Amino acid sequence: MGWFDLKIISRHFDVPQAKDIDYYVEHGGYAAARQAVRMDPAAITTEVKESNLRGRGGAGFPTGIKWGFVPKGAQTVYLVVNADESEPGTFKDRHILFWNPHMLIEGMIIAARALGVKSAYVYMRGEMLREYPVLQTAIDEAYAKGFLGARCFGSDMPLDITIYRGAGAYICGEETALLSSLEGGRGWPRLKPPFPAVKGLWGQPTIVNNVETIANLPWIIEHGGKAFADLGVGRSGGLRIVSVCGHVNRPGVYELPLSVTGRELIEEVCGGIRNGRKVKGVIPGGVSMPLLTEAELDVPFEFDALQTDERIAEVEVQPGVKFDLGGGRTLRTMAGSGGVVVMDDQTDMVSACWRILHFFADESCGQCTPCREGTGWLTKVAKRIDAGQGRPGDVDLMASIADGIAGNTICALGDAAAWPTLAFLTKYRGEFEAKIRSSRFVAEQRAAAEAAASQAVHPGQAGKAVQASKAVQASKAVQQGGVTS
Amino acid sequence: MGTFWLAVGVGAFWLALGASSRVDLVGEPILGFAAAETKVTTKQLSPEIEARIQELWPRFPPQNAAKALCIPVLYLAQQQFGMVDDEVVDLVAARLSLPAAHVKGTATFYTMFNKKPVGRFHLQICTNIACQITGAYGVFDRCKQRLAVENHGTTEDGNVTLSEVECLAACGYGPVAQIAERGKPDIPLYFENLDLERIEKILDALAEGRVPVDLGS
Repeated sequence: MGWFDLKIISRHFDVPQAKDIDYYVEHGGYAAARQAVRMDPAAITTEVKESNLRGRGGAGFPTGIKWGFVPKGAQTVYLVVNADESEPGTFKDRHILFWNPHMLIEGMIIAARALGVKSAYVYMRGEMLREYPVLQTAIDEAYAKGFLGARCFGSDMPLDITIYRGAGAYICGEETALLSSLEGGRGWPRLKPPFPAVKGLWGQPTIVNNVETIANLPWIIEHGGKAFADLGVGRSGGLRIVSVCGHVNRPGVYELPLSVTGRELIEEVCGGIRNGRKVKGVIPGGVSMPLLTEAELDVPFEFDALQTDERIAEVEVQPGVKFDLGGGRTLRTMAGSGGVVVMDDQTDMVSACWRILHFFADESCGQCTPCREGTGWLTKVAKRIDAGQGRPGDVDLMASIADGIAGNTICALGDAAAWPTLAFLTKYRGEFEAKIRSSRFVAEQRAAAEAAASQAVHPGQAGKAVQASKAVQASKAVQQGGVTS
Repeated sequence: MGTFWLAVGVGAFWLALGASSRVDLVGEPILGFAAAETKVTTKQLSPEIEARIQELWPRFPPQNAAKALCIPVLYLAQQQFGMVDDEVVDLVAARLSLPAAHVKGTATFYTMFNKKPVGRFHLQICTNIACQITGAYGVFDRCKQRLAVENHGTTEDGNVTLSEVECLAACGYGPVAQIAERGKPDIPLYFENLDLERIEKILDALAEGRVPVDLGS
């Protein structure tokens, strides 16, 4: 399997000495940064544009183009590395931070040179207590060697890197929320535009890039943007780090070509499903992304393919009614953060859907009503279906709530709750309906209606007949999908 | 006119009722602006925190540094006092010259700041999707049962607080837990691949008063 051989970021994984700056330098480390600090900044941006490097945090936006949004002649520009990895199913950045901290620092020096940055920050998840001292030690080493500080590598370029620890809030992975948090307040997302590249940290132009995105830069400078683009597929350059979890035999973090399909990933890379079972569903890029069925796994796990490949079903609001992503575009799925969650054929999809929604309800920052209220209601309805208390119409109710959230919020957390919900309902609708059919609520309603009806047939008193008709009406109202309690 | 005077009358009665009941409950006048100034606290931020503030301050633009330090100082204060209650909020606000409302709003936004006291050990178990489908609720229920607490509850002896938490970014090795110990530096370990046997061992160790570092990674 030749395509396994090349490693860019993961070549230092599981090598404990790689955290040590001397080992890293001996193995070619910091050569690209040393070269970059004497390069024309525009030439670095050109290489990055040519490399087709796309943001690895989730959106897959071309990095070079993002950099290009910084206004020309800006005096103060900030670089912020998003190390707030908390998308369920994703655990690659934590791996990079722990095993390869110097590659991140080197990438930051390169990005800082291209953007004219003097102060850079790493916004790191508060829970990453193992990675924080590792990265801090690496930064201290780089200062001691003169790679960071007033004169990086003896050049005229100054750069300070500061770690800023988050304190437990998923929303801070959203770039504008991250900036609000870094400024020392609640992690509340901001309306875009203005985009951070124009008006970000403390109102200054700011580039926020993911850990993996930045860690790819040394290789791009060393080998050229074109070589990186050639490793990729179409408009996506380079390799991709995916983290695979769930019911596979070998979960873990793998750096792979973008052409690898879901089926190859599960069967060849991860050794298949545990206990010889079959796949039921796969989340391709963190729980915000619509999941795939077993039949949809032959598509490469690449940004564009996952969005457009017709082998993946479009997400629907109702059977036959496609979800509108805006401007008539439909939604299949997206590559997201590279966090792959594999579920075997024994997984209860209603229960999985409930737990994902519970997460989003917990993490909604509360600014926008559709998200704050909608995620709460979605969780309640999903939970009652899961708990055997589902009501006829609940599936449509969930879809209508999800459709009401999507596209109506400041940030993407609302969409992140709505999209997978609609995907669960589109692809596993039968499981939800089966749970509702066998729910205690439905059984009780049916029993009440039958009892009332039999009373109505043999009316002992006039009042009973009235009661019966009320019970039948209530039963009908429930079937039409009203939430009455 | 009658309605107007009725409204005034009800309003006056309501004010009187509100004022008197507040005096009764708190034992001081409601318009006591002096109350905030005279509040006595014995708590003080440690010299270590002061040193860290001096170290971090130049890392931010001068006009933004105080606010930017809000979260780092809350962290340090929590390490010192075990939690971030209103008294700690006031201390941090006073030190950084920030409105207490801002500091409290920030502290309550983030889950890692404990607004209530927690036990000596804080056992945090992820039950998010990847951990859920590999058995986290079984592990969590076993903890609840053995510690005789509900989610976010503390054992009667104050030894362990149990919390269900969201994704810890170790999804390939679930179910995963993290343990914090009061007064000790943050423990750089996760407890991975938990099952009923491993969680029993962890609970045994906590009952003995130690973090089972040998089980962590």
